[in-house]
Amino acid sequence: MSKNIIERILKPTARGRVWQFFIGILVLLIIGGLIDAGQYYNKGIDWLSGKTKNTIVLPKTKEVPFRLGLDLQGGTHLVYQTDLSSIDSSERDSAAEGARDVIERRVNLFGVSEPLVQVDKNVSGDYKIIVELAGIKDVNEAIKMIGETPLLEFKEPAGAPRDLTEAEQKDLASFDKKAEAKAQEVLGKAISGGDFSALAKTYSEDETTKGKGGDLGWITENDNPVLVKAVITSAQGQVAKDFVSTNEGYEIVKLTGKRDKQSTFSDAKETEVKAMHLLLCYQGIENCTNNLSKEDALAKIKELKAKATPANFSQLVKENSTEPGASQTGGELGWFTKNKMVQAFSDAVFAQGKGTISEPVETEFGFHLIYKEDERNLQEYQISHILVKTKNKEDIVGPTEEWKNTELTGKYLERATVEFNSSNSSPEVALEFDSEGAKLFEEITERNIGKQVAIFLDNYPISAPTVQNKISGGKAVISGKFTVTEAKLLAQRLNEGALPVPINLISQQTVGASLGSASVANSVKAGLYGFLLVAIFMIIFYRLPGLISVFSLAVYAVLVLAIFKLWPVTLTLSGLAGFILSLGMAVDANVLIFSRIREEIRAGKILSLAIEDGFKRAWPSIRDSNISTLITCLILSQFSSSVVKGFAITLAIGVIVSMFSAIIITKNFLKLIMGKWLEDKIWLIGAKKE
Amino acid sequence: MTNYKIIQKGKLWISISLVLFVASLVALGMWGFKYGIDFTGGSLMEVRYAENRPAVETVRENLSQLGLGELIVQPAGETNYILRFQNTEEAKHQEALKALRDLDGSVEEMHFESVGPSIGAELKQKSFYAVFFVLLGILLYISYSFRKVSRPVASWKYGASAIIAMFHDAIITMGIFAVLGRYFNMEINTPFVTAILTVIGYSVHDTIVVFDRTRENLPKSDSDFEGTVNMSVNQTLVRSINTSLTSLLSLTAIIIFGGESIRPFALTLAIGIFFGTYSSIFLASPLLVMWANWKKK
Repeated sequence: MSKNIIERILKPTARGRVWQFFIGILVLLIIGGLIDAGQYYNKGIDWLSGKTKNTIVLPKTKEVPFRLGLDLQGGTHLVYQTDLSSIDSSERDSAAEGARDVIERRVNLFGVSEPLVQVDKNVSGDYKIIVELAGIKDVNEAIKMIGETPLLEFKEPAGAPRDLTEAEQKDLASFDKKAEAKAQEVLGKAISGGDFSALAKTYSEDETTKGKGGDLGWITENDNPVLVKAVITSAQGQVAKDFVSTNEGYEIVKLTGKRDKQSTFSDAKETEVKAMHLLLCYQGIENCTNNLSKEDALAKIKELKAKATPANFSQLVKENSTEPGASQTGGELGWFTKNKMVQAFSDAVFAQGKGTISEPVETEFGFHLIYKEDERNLQEYQISHILVKTKNKEDIVGPTEEWKNTELTGKYLERATVEFNSSNSSPEVALEFDSEGAKLFEEITERNIGKQVAIFLDNYPISAPTVQNKISGGKAVISGKFTVTEAKLLAQRLNEGALPVPINLISQQTVGASLGSASVANSVKAGLYGFLLVAIFMIIFYRLPGLISVFSLAVYAVLVLAIFKLWPVTLTLSGLAGFILSLGMAVDANVLIFSRIREEIRAGKILSLAIEDGFKRAWPSIRDSNISTLITCLILSQFSSSVVKGFAITLAIGVIVSMFSAIIITKNFLKLIMGKWLEDKIWLIGAKKE
Repeated sequence: MTNYKIIQKGKLWISISLVLFVASLVALGMWGFKYGIDFTGGSLMEVRYAENRPAVETVRENLSQLGLGELIVQPAGETNYILRFQNTEEAKHQEALKALRDLDGSVEEMHFESVGPSIGAELKQKSFYAVFFVLLGILLYISYSFRKVSRPVASWKYGASAIIAMFHDAIITMGIFAVLGRYFNMEINTPFVTAILTVIGYSVHDTIVVFDRTRENLPKSDSDFEGTVNMSVNQTLVRSINTSLTSLLSLTAIIIFGGESIRPFALTLAIGIFFGTYSSIFLASPLLVMWANWKKK
């Protein structure tokens, strides 16, 4: 019996072959479907395993997304013209490539996924650079950044910030004095009943709030302890008697309101809690020095809980708590809000009653006992302030930096080349400066022997070699652990900085993301309706074979979409239009075949022969007409515009797959259902014997 | 099977085609295309207002000081404006945006394009080459595939008739767009060129099916050339119409449901395919027969 089955599989009859083929098509369909709708399948699997409580967990499939063009994702398409007139022709290719690299690096800073930057060289030796940024929010920023020509700088270590000169010190002192006087004046006005809001608008130097009369809104003590402290004892509407001195300057503060802070999520008021805690860590916790195992620690803390009372809590902490410094602080945490502590701790202490000691609470730090001393509503204060700025050293000298500029920039670099070290053959980058640059370089190296000198390209450090000795003659070698590729890259980048390639924006196309997603939605709708219309037509006109061709069309659609995902083809709006058009054209081959079959039947042939001949006769027409469409697609694909190319490629793929689906799949389906039973029901095929 | 005397009325059909053809040429000559930004260069900005959009005059006034060059403000739908101006510098673009924002903060830029003039010229050139090569490629292919059918008409004549039909389709479609451009302000851009090229390729598609049938019937037919061709046309009539119909159905779906931006493209294709079918039945074959008859004289 089994021998029979194996025989039937390995040496199938003609009918058997048809079935095998059919199964092959089904397999293709399933694979295609998984590729196309992977995420729906996976969601289904999740749902199923959820419903069956993880008993039926089928393997998931890899999700492959469509690659969407700019007009569907939103984004921008920029075209830059390069000016290579000052570069001799042998170096133009690499100069253009170099500019491309710099632009790509700049573009990468925007975190756009898969930016496209490429050089487009046309026949007349004209170089353009094309940049496509999908999903970018601020096109103008991108254009600004790209537009700058590459900047090469040499920097030396900045050292400690310098001291203020005498003049600067005097300057600073007088500035601050003036500020103090001004603050005094404003304070006087405010206290004697002046309109605080108007005073703020006139005198405050805090740009962000002066327009609103200096109102900072509602803040808690935690948000700005200095300002809150100044008015914590004031009455509502009162101005603090003295101004407060902060890092930024002198603050005149007014309390406009006070209230309990409402929680943002519920109707309850937010509270602060004052508590002490005892911590027992155990082995395995970071920085834990006691040698208790987790079970022992738990046992010990339960013991302590039994002994603990509010009176002796502090003492217990001092003796037993493993928190660093607990022996002095007694575990006192002071007042804190819910979000200041880890969740387990907060949840416990905010839930327990005042004056109680908690059960052991476990956190990532170990086991805690918490004694909640007090709880109160969190106070919020509405504060307005007037700021009179003072200066400090940083304002004059500038923030502390690691590197500072030297005078040496890419302007002075003649060229950079890759060389191989004579002794160990490792790749190095050799620099050659012009005469002015050579002098500057000599001075820099002399100043920084034993220290590093950094080379910055576009404000990004690309190398920071240590200076071994003073270098004269303007020739230097950067050696380091370079691979040949790295050395070449560095030399190329240095040359870019040395040879700025001016670029000019000549074309820009931006599509907002909302327009993009609207386009996608529309296309999907159009596609579905298109499919529907064609299907209805086919069934009405060609009846049973029409139905078959609709199935064939469905398989076609699944396959084509899968190819789009796998290739991957960048889908644009016109590309989708091409796909929808190809739906109509795909049936065309089927139409040809069915017409033929009808004719053959009318000519008196029996069904099986009619089908066979129909396909054979129709093939030349199908082949020729599709080839002419393919020729058009070929020529269209030579356009550099991604819109046109997208259309050409999707149409070409559509045409090729449609030939396959019409000839092979439809034929297979037809053969499958063919049989004696159909012979009598010719009307199903819509042909009448004449 | 139908038995219309199509070819016999060949002179009628060719005259109709000729009239349409000439009319299209006239339209093109008189009005030309309404060139879109891809060809003319310039900037195009589409903005949307969340609530009440300001009046056209207000917008114009606001932007008139910025030196944008010739400025056109067109309402689009209920909430959008399409602005066109000559200047293509990015700095000006930002200035214009800022001016619009100062006027009404809720404005959102949907879409912006700027094309330098050099690109427009290059595009025209590229399009021209593309059309040329497509025509050449197809002519060669048809001549090759019909090489065995040299009597009574030389095989290259099949190709030539097909090309003439293609040309006819393309010119009439372009003529229609000249009219649409004049009266409905419909513009042509790169998608239009793409559509025309597709129409050319597709038109041949159809014509070949008819010629193919003729090729098959010739060796075994007992009527004269004219009769054979007519029979071939009739045999393929239903099929030609159905094929175009299915493509037109999917295009209709796109025209109705697709977005604003893809509509002109789909419309071009639809018009082109319609005429492509027409020319395959009523132009290419009659032309072939006329040629044969004329040669005989």
